[in-house]
Amino acid sequence: MNEQASFNMQVLDALLLDYATGALSLPLEVLVETHLAMNEDSAKTMNMLMKLGGVLLEDSEPVSLSEGALENVLKAIEDDEESAALDTRRLDTNSGFLPRPISDYIPNADHASWRRIGLGLFECDVVFDGDQGRAKFYRIAPGTAVPSHTHTGTEVTLVLEGGFTDETGSYGPGDIAVQEEGCEHKPVADNDGECLVFAINQGDIRLTGPIGRVLNLLVN
Amino acid sequence: MDIKNENFDFELVTDDPVSLTRDMGTGCDNDNAKSMSKWDIMLVRVGRERDKAAFAALFDYFAPRIKSFLLRLGTDMSLCEEIAQEAMIMVWRRAETYNPAQSGASTWIFTIARNKRIDRLRRENRPLPDLSDPAFAPEAVETGEKAIFRQQEEEKIRHALKNLPDEQAKMIFSAYYEEKSHREIADESGVPLGTVKSRIRLALNRLRAHLDEPEGIWKP
Repeated sequence: MNEQASFNMQVLDALLLDYATGALSLPLEVLVETHLAMNEDSAKTMNMLMKLGGVLLEDSEPVSLSEGALENVLKAIEDDEESAALDTRRLDTNSGFLPRPISDYIPNADHASWRRIGLGLFECDVVFDGDQGRAKFYRIAPGTAVPSHTHTGTEVTLVLEGGFTDETGSYGPGDIAVQEEGCEHKPVADNDGECLVFAINQGDIRLTGPIGRVLNLLVN
Repeated sequence: MDIKNENFDFELVTDDPVSLTRDMGTGCDNDNAKSMSKWDIMLVRVGRERDKAAFAALFDYFAPRIKSFLLRLGTDMSLCEEIAQEAMIMVWRRAETYNPAQSGASTWIFTIARNKRIDRLRRENRPLPDLSDPAFAPEAVETGEKAIFRQQEEEKIRHALKNLPDEQAKMIFSAYYEEKSHREIADESGVPLGTVKSRIRLALNRLRAHLDEPEGIWKP
């Protein structure tokens, strides 16, 4: 495994661990959840990390709850039984162009308004409550090279459809690419179809290069 | 409140443990049933029979551990108490969907507590359905063998964890017990981000190596 590939695996494991322990922001959590539904190896790792959580929970030194805690809970449960049966159905969402589970968070995605930000390049904002970084979808036409750019914060990208290649590797459906702060990259979409990605950036994007400087005005 | 767990030593978990496991469709015999943890069996009873005494026993064991786990994360004492109670209410509500062939009770309850805590800290409910809820995990073919295998896995994880080199174990404990993202671990420990990531990778590789063929995948 070359250095870059092994670096990519480290980044992925760190992200999976952050997910398991609940340390991610909502947009990143949605991104990782969608990745887990698309990548069996990561799903196996997550299964292991949740078991690790179970082991650590069981090995925790117990701390007594307040007096009457069990009674409170039993009371709540009885109230439950009086109310309607609980709805634990999986929602049958019409996912439109998005795979599950991200489609469940963004039910109106088919009405998204796409902005053209370059030749063969479109973006669409995804708004989550609170300041949790910029979340966007990007659509990149087959074979299109995105202008070279850098990020002021880490950018995490999940490929939903198609694929792209940049300096750090080639990414296909379900793959996560992480661009560290300050790294310049120039993704090129695969030739065989449109590439759709979900990207979360903790900072700003700075386009570099002559075309990039013009595009900066459009993006910011 | 005379619902207590004195009668819930696993040996007497049911008048007829064989029929209980048959009911579960595990097809496992009495010996196999004994290899499941008593907490797994109780959780099945809560799900199948809405058994409040079994629930009380689970509560007595797990609620103080959830509280302790949350306290280590620096959560406020009264919030810990509340989340522990709410998590146990969720355990009651979702117990029907618990599948012992797929995860141990401690893993399943860890996941519920994790989600509960995330919900509370975000001060908003996650959109329905709660996709990372174990209730949405895939149906596994239930066999007694799988349940045993699964339990052995948890023992292997515990064993592997004990044998991790200190600097790797430290990453895992900081992640789970202090709920630090890998970036925060780096920022606060002064260990370079790249080193944190590579230690996490090494630690997870060691854990994965102990489970040569990890059973089950995590489906969000």
